[in-house]
Formats: sequence, C-alpha cells, structure tokens
Amino acid sequence: MREIYTPNTVPNAPEENLTAEEKEDLEFGKLTSTDHLYVAKYNQNEPLPTPILDEPPYYIVIFTYLNYLILIIIGHIKDFFGKRFMPQCFDAVMPKNGYPPWYSAFESFYPRRLKKRLDDCFARPIHGVPGRYVRCFTRFSNDYNQTFHYDGGLTPLLNLSSYNYLGFAQSMGVCTRDAIEVVEKYGTSSGGPRNVIGNTDLHRDTEKVVAEFVGKDDALVFSMGYGTNAHLFTSLANSKCLLISDSLNHGSIRFGIRLAGAAVKVFSHNDMDALEKILRESISQGQSKTHRPWKKIFVCVEGLYSMEGNLCNLPKLVELRDKYKFYLFVDEAHSIGALGEHGRGVCDYFGIPPSRIDILMGTFTKSFGAAGGYVAANQDIINRLRLDISTQCYGESQPPPVLKQIATSLRIIRGDLNGNEGKERLGRIAFNSRYLRLGLKRLGFIVYGADDSPVIPLLLYAPAKMPAFSRMMYEQGVAVVVVGYPATELISSRVRFCISASLTKEDIDKILRVVDVIGDKLYLKFSSGIAGGEVHPGDYKKGIVPRWNIEDVLAKTPEDCKGTMY
Amino acid sequence: MDTVTTTVTKETSNQAPQFVIKYASSAVELWYGFISFIETIPGGQIIINYIKASHKNDPWRTLLELLLALLAIRYFLASKYSQDESEKVKLSKREVDELIDDWEPEPIVPAVRQEERWLFDAIPAIEGAITKHVNVVEPKSKEIIYDVLNMAGRDFLDMNTNELVKSSAIKTITECGVGACGPANFYGTQDVHVRASEDLARFLGAEKGIVYGQDFCTATSVLPCFLKRGDIAIVDDGVSLSLQKAVMISRCSIEWFHHNDMDHLESILESLQEELQDGPLNRRFIVTEGLFENFGDSPDLARLVEIKNKYKFRLALDESYSIGTLGPNGRGLPEAYGIPRTEIEMTIGTLANSFGSSGGFCVGCDAMIYHQILSSNAYVFSAYIPPYCASATSAVINLLEASEKPGEINPLVKPLQENIALMSSLFRNSSKLADLVSVRSSDASAVMHIRINPALRKSLDLPEGYGGPGSQIVKAVKNGHETDYFDREYNTECYILQLIIDQLLNSKVLLTRSKRILHHEVLPCVPELIIYLNSGFTKSEIQSSFIAIEDAIYQNLSTLTYKSFDQISDSLEFS
Repeated sequence: MREIYTPNTVPNAPEENLTAEEKEDLEFGKLTSTDHLYVAKYNQNEPLPTPILDEPPYYIVIFTYLNYLILIIIGHIKDFFGKRFMPQCFDAVMPKNGYPPWYSAFESFYPRRLKKRLDDCFARPIHGVPGRYVRCFTRFSNDYNQTFHYDGGLTPLLNLSSYNYLGFAQSMGVCTRDAIEVVEKYGTSSGGPRNVIGNTDLHRDTEKVVAEFVGKDDALVFSMGYGTNAHLFTSLANSKCLLISDSLNHGSIRFGIRLAGAAVKVFSHNDMDALEKILRESISQGQSKTHRPWKKIFVCVEGLYSMEGNLCNLPKLVELRDKYKFYLFVDEAHSIGALGEHGRGVCDYFGIPPSRIDILMGTFTKSFGAAGGYVAANQDIINRLRLDISTQCYGESQPPPVLKQIATSLRIIRGDLNGNEGKERLGRIAFNSRYLRLGLKRLGFIVYGADDSPVIPLLLYAPAKMPAFSRMMYEQGVAVVVVGYPATELISSRVRFCISASLTKEDIDKILRVVDVIGDKLYLKFSSGIAGGEVHPGDYKKGIVPRWNIEDVLAKTPEDCKGTMY
Repeated sequence: MDTVTTTVTKETSNQAPQFVIKYASSAVELWYGFISFIETIPGGQIIINYIKASHKNDPWRTLLELLLALLAIRYFLASKYSQDESEKVKLSKREVDELIDDWEPEPIVPAVRQEERWLFDAIPAIEGAITKHVNVVEPKSKEIIYDVLNMAGRDFLDMNTNELVKSSAIKTITECGVGACGPANFYGTQDVHVRASEDLARFLGAEKGIVYGQDFCTATSVLPCFLKRGDIAIVDDGVSLSLQKAVMISRCSIEWFHHNDMDHLESILESLQEELQDGPLNRRFIVTEGLFENFGDSPDLARLVEIKNKYKFRLALDESYSIGTLGPNGRGLPEAYGIPRTEIEMTIGTLANSFGSSGGFCVGCDAMIYHQILSSNAYVFSAYIPPYCASATSAVINLLEASEKPGEINPLVKPLQENIALMSSLFRNSSKLADLVSVRSSDASAVMHIRINPALRKSLDLPEGYGGPGSQIVKAVKNGHETDYFDREYNTECYILQLIIDQLLNSKVLLTRSKRILHHEVLPCVPELIIYLNSGFTKSEIQSSFIAIEDAIYQNLSTLTYKSFDQISDSLEFS
C-alpha cells in the first residue's frame, strides 16, 4: 500500500516486521571464515608504506577539463537566458525590494549549475541503522533534481558510504542496550555546558576510558567532532605562534586555525621535506617583520586523511618533533578505532608511544557508532584546557546516551566486554580494507591511499562519471559516496569506499563484481600498475598493466592481500 | 706594389667581417624563418603588420614594449612571496642549525596558577541524571549530597526526563542506533532528522529549518555563509561569545551598537546611509539576541523590526535562551511581541536548552536554508546529529503544540513563567539584598543574572567591567603573553561568588555563576551569580531556595570590604 507523497517531503518510515535475525543480518554480517581476518600493523623493518600516486593518461585529463568547460559554458548560457526569460526561477539570486540576494549568482554557480545535476546522488534520506546495509527512501525526480518524489518505500543497499569502521552502528547488542538504559536513567540531554552543570559520572568515566585507550593521562570529550577542532586552537595558539598545517587537513582544523588568529603556513600533503624546510626557515627567521622567535610552533596533521586514504608519516614527524621542538597535533578522526593492532590509531599502527605526540584529537562518529570528539594529552595540558576551551564553558556537553555508546564500544574493542568480539571487528576491517583495495588495483582501477586504510578512494576524473557511477552502483544495490570539487582537486573527482567490519568477504566479492562491470562501462580502468596490482612482481617495469579478470581476482586476492608485498 | 698591399690589407681586413657575416647571415636566416613561421600561424600576418607599422611610426615604442614584455616575464617567474624574501636574513646552514638548537618554545599551554586551582572544584560533579534535582559530589569530602535543587541547568521546560521524550528517543535508538555515522549530505540524513527540521520550522513559524550538531558551532557556521568580505553586520555589543566569533571570523565589516540601545542603532544606520546608497548592494545584517546570554534582557523587538525594515537590513536573532521561555507558547521573543516569525530573517537557536536534546538549529526562508546545506562548514564537514536527538526534539515540539490552547498560556510553559515572576519579585522586594546585589536580567528572563551591587563594587574599587577593548587582557592576547591571561580582581570576584554557591550546596541548592573566559571574550564582562529557573520547581521550592540564597549572599557580601577582598586574593595566591 504505497501512496505517492507530496514532492520534497521525506515520508515516515513504513512499518516493519523484520525478525531479529533479519535485522541483525542487515546491520552486521556474520563472519563466514576465520581466514577473513588480518592484523593491520606497520612492519618496522620495512620502509614506510608511502602510497604511490598513479597518474591517469593524458587524454583523460584533457577530457576532464573539457567536461568542466562544457558544463561551465552551458551553465552560463542557461543563466544568461534564464535570467531574461524565466526570472521567476532566479528569485534566490536576484535583488528584491532593495534587499540583496542571500547569495550571489556567482557564489552559487557551482551548486546551481554543476552540483544540482547530481543532487540525486547526495543527501539520500535513509531510515534505520547505517550498518552493513543502508536503507534509502526510494525517490525520483521529474524536473532535473529540483524536486524529489518519494513513494514511501525503502531500498536496501550494501553500505560503502557510512563511517562505520568497526560496525558499531547497530540497534541491537550490548552497546545499544546500554545506551537505552542510560536514556531511561539519565534522559536525553546533559542540561548545559560542562563547566556549569553537564558534568556527570558518565562524562568522567568516559574521559577516563578514552584517555586510557589512546594512552594519555587525561582527555576531554565534546559533543561534536567538528566543534572540537573548531574551538580548540584558540586555547592553544595566539598571534605570536605559528601553526603549520598539512594542505589536505580537514575543514574543522582549518576553521579552528583561522579562529585562533595565529600565523599559518601550509606544507604540501605529507611532504616531510617541505615541512622540514618550513620549520628550518620559520625557526631561524622568526616572526615576519619583527624576526622575534615564535612563541610556539604547532604542526597539525591528520592520522588518516579521509579524502586520500593516506596515513600521516608519523615516524618522520616524531623524529622532526624531537629535532625542532615543535608541538605535534594529530587529528585521529578517521584512524582511531580503525587502525592498529588494538585499534588505537596511528600510534598503535606505527608502534610509536603516544607520549611522543603532544595532542591527540579524534572523533567518536566513525569507529564507535556515536558522536562527538575528544582531546587527549598530558595531565597539565588537559588541566589548563579544561578551564580554557570555550566549548567547555559556553557550549553544550555530551548527551548521556552518546557517552555510554562510546564507553561500551571502547570496552568491547579493548576486550573487557564480549570476549573476542573487539578483536574480531578489528581483524575484519583490516582484512576487508586490504581485500577490496587489492582487488580494485588488480582490476585496473586507480586507487589512492595506504594499504591498511579503510578509506579507499577510486579515481573517476571526469565529473560526469560521478553521478553515473553512483546511480549504477545504486541500481546494483550498493551505496557509495562520490566526491568532487571543491572537496578534491578539480580534476580528481572520486568515489570513496568506506570499509566496515560489518561487511563479509562475500559482500566484498559482490562489490568487486559490480565495480568490475561498471568500470568497463564507464571506462575507468586505466591504472599503470605503478601503485600495485601486478600479476607478477616487476610487470610495471616491463610495461604490463594490471588487468585481471574478475574470477582470478576473487580466487586469489583474499589470500594475497594478507601478504606484505602486493 | 701598392695594389698588392691594398689587396693584402683588403684580404686581412675582410677576414674578420666574413666571420661575422657568416653568423649574421645565419641569424638573419633564423629571423626570417621565425617571421615566416609566425606568418603561417593564422593571424600571424596581422601581428607582423602591426609591429611593422608601429615601429615605423615610433621606433622607441618597440623598445618600450620589449622592456614591458621582459618585465612581465620576470614578474611571472618571480617567487610568489618575493616580498617576504627581501625581508629575510641570509643565514648559513650552520647558523640556522645554531638558531634551531637555541630556540626554546614556550610551554604548550600556560600552567594553571595556584590562584586558579579553586576553579576545578567549582565544576560541579553530578552523579546520575541532570534533572530539576541532582546529586552533587561535594568537592572536598567527595560525599554525595542527594536531591539538590538544580538551579544551574538549562532544561527550562523540564523535558530531559519527560517519559514521552525518553520513549521517543529510545524508539529511535532501537531503530537507528546511536550515531548518525555520516554527514547529512552523505547518507547521514534519517527521516527523523527531516521531521525535526520541519517541526522546528512549523513550531516557530518559519519556512524551513536546518539542524546542527552542536549549539556553540551553529552561529559560527551559519553567519559566515552569508557575511563575506564587503558585507556589513551591525552587532549589539553585548552578544554572546559564539556570535562575537561568528561575525569576526566572517571578515565582514562590523559596527557595534550599544547594548539594546535602538537609538544608537538607528544613528549608526543613518550615518551609514550615504555610503550604502552609493555602494554595491551588499548583504546587511543586524545581529542580536532574543534573550541575552550575558545579561538576561531582550531588545525592543517592535522597534528593531521597524528599524531594520526602514533601512532594509536583515535581522539575525539568536534565540537560544528565549525559545521555550518567552511568549505564551514558548515561541520566543517574536511571540512575546506579537510579531510574525517571517519578520525575523534568520533565527539561530539551540536544541540543548528548552528542547531537552542536543544540537543547534537555524530557521528562516527556503533560499537561506538551501544555501547552508552546501556552504555551511559545520553542516558540510561534520557528521549529522544523532537521530535520537532529532526525535527527542520533535517529541518536545509535539508536546508543546498538543497542549497549546488559543488565548491561553501553554500549560507546559506557564509554570516556568510563574516561577520566573515569583523569583524575580522575591529578589526585587528583598530589602536585605538591596545594597548587596542587583538583578541585571529582565523580569521575564528564565536566567537570572545577579551582580554585586555597583555601589558595593565601587567601594571595593573594582572596575566597571573586566576585559574588553583597551584592557590588560586584550593587550596580553595581542602580544601573545599567555601567562598574563589572568586578572587578579576578576578571579577574586568570581571566587567570592563561588563561596556563595558552595555555601548554598549545603542548603541543597545548586546555583552557578557566569563562567566567561576573559581572553576569549572581545567585550567586557562582569562576574554574576546565575539562577536558571525550571518549570518543574514548585512554589515552595522557589521560596525556600530564595531564603537560602538570600542568606548566603548576605553572609558573604555584607562583610565584604576593600581589605577583606584583598585578603581573599592573597589567600588564593598562597593557599
């Protein structure tokens, strides 16, 4: 009994009669074989796993620019005639009654003329747990994404889109049970800022667990990951300090740095030589104009870059830190929980003691199925920050159920609860990430990022391939996230697979089969083999490109992906 | 003989020129090759003709243009930061190494001073739920004091433990889990999120709404979407920290008008008029609050709306404290004034106060909200709020709407407003407190701001406000002297207020004080005792708590002298 809803209104979810087993299967697939586990750990005897970027052929680059050129020209033509003949469609960008528009036509050109075309691939409303499967409301548009019509039904899709690295997005199990208990006992809100009222035993307990987990003396938790970074740097740096930031740092770090009003220098992504050059120059030259020494220098990096899938070069960074005495800030938004033998992030992965990093920051959204962020550091630093971070005094504190979700999931990862469950989850995400990555490389796709990274960006280049890829995957029952400019460079539009421990090996098989077919249709297989995927080692040097057929990939990759050299 | 010599000299003198001629001819050949190459390019002939003609008319011009071309090439090849380069000191590698060895950074954060240590104990440690009654851990003895009346929480409508709200949150958790697991634009939007933003918009009477993950981030993310370089914001000089940061980060030009002074606002607008009429049509905002976080008072909205319409400015109103507390149905300041929400172009608020949930929101017209979906940092770059927070918000709004009756005060809001009236009348009528404290907030405010009486503060030789333009703290911030981010008098005044709070804890009343951090604030501030009222308090609870508050204030402030103030400062330093 599906009724057609009014346009642009997301319907309420239909009544469901799933059994507990069906629901569990949708949220978290059962491990099919213990062979499908792996421990992600950097082997210290090997050189650092620096990802090699594969370049697309020249014609692809030219084609991509041409694509944009045509889109931009058509957009401007449409704007030119539209404003004259259909002014009613341009209300939002035209001045009215002496009021300026909310946003200018130029400012909104990209969203109106380019992004609108692929709006159906973004913000798909969902219902239920974004676990192994995500269920999207079925929708269609008759007017090029101006309005969406919903029929009230839900389409289940294999989920490669959510940040659910360890699969804690669940509506059953001990985490959820605990969270519900907390709602009953503590309610839904924390009633105010941390330093005013919102400081319950749950907050103190969670901070302790988090600090222990990341290996620092103490930690602070905040209700939003973005907000953690956005208001942290004003408490660390002032105008006489220098913040050196990786060029691909997340928007929240960039915003926080701007708010701090400190001097900023940017080094190109993961380029340690460039960083060292900036450090040498900054320390020796001092502040601009006055040449006085900098009061403090911070280097801000991310543990795992969410758009590239790269890890920071932590061994080199701590080496530089010892030499140049700067303070090291590592944002572990994506790496905490997802990397390392014990899931404790990049420090764990590289085997570097957390004491060699000054400030560890991370979020709870990605691996723990919760929300918010933390800052962990030595006791004296946290003491000051507890009094000084503006969010602590002015912003709301973490709500109780979220805290409980964090504490319980952390205890599972640590092995304090549910026996081996934490270890299994860590093993599954490590295996799944490596399997899918190697599979894609062997099929001939250009894939960025480190081997163990659960974020796998597959390069599409041409903007038109973004919606095409997303829609085709949707039709085949897989939900993916496509990202283009301005989140990436203009030409390097990509699809980003976020791997989860909730996926089974068979799910990855299915994904590989689907991507293989779509890759042929959309002409996406143009890797040179420089970044891996060769049939025999050394093929790249002989000019043999990796183009395995799907059956061979499925047969050999699950074992091969566990090897150190692939 | 003569001829021979001449031929010889001719031969010898011709030797060198022939050498030159060889090169010259090849250069000429190259030149003609180049010219003929240019001629083959479409339009090349035209360029050559142009150069020929211009050279014929004015040979100097050719030289000038050649120089210009060289200059342009040099400019493009020069380093982007050539200006900085010229400022740099030339150092050898050894010198650089020595400087690096020599450089000692300041500590990552300034150490907590002895005088500030009391601040840790001043953060109340709660055991269990935060409702109208809380269990507080006594900081010294670590014993739990049960059932303390919570006058420090912002859950004005007592919704945090409402059974309907809880059950709606639980229902969502059993369906969707706890976290949203993704940004709103990437599969993070659940149906309950959409419902919550619709409910907010409907409840407040706006076209559309958008929900954010944290209240403190909302304003700093929303305003910079619409205020860019060249735009104008006229801001009340008493706004909260998040609005201060929001306008300052947006890089627009800012004018501050005196707190709630509509005449001053109008005079600023009048003085800007000429400039605005000639200039481009930039975006113009008046930024203020519905109920001020820092003062507990409200602007004259009727006048404000009239002014902004006259000068064609848009109004951005932060209603974090006024929604749920002002107006017969808790719809905020516009409802209290009988002004439709559509007159307020942008409303920012929080879900963490009256809505008993967590997060922030913005409501307004469709075009404004649409723009935020793509360009608001905290919306784009962050995971969406947990779904259960959205459904808790919807549950509160549905409760409020269901109990609404035309012409009457909403029964869910009424007890709160009665409590506010009762408490403020008790304060106003207290002769015991008249010389000791003054109530800064308005009589309708759910947050009571109580300051030490200005006369008393003067007798203690305290400044009118701490921090703000020209102060020691602002100078310290400007020069990066972090160890000077401390004001002895501010610290002591706050401590004296804390003594009142600590004493009240024994009477089972939990108050709070303004916990503002001087070096973050742009505007001056005065320490205040703060009482948050709640609709769940009974009349007798209010009355008995007032007696305790009155008593505690009297005991601590009546004996306060310039000398004892100084002694307290010393005792903090050397304790």
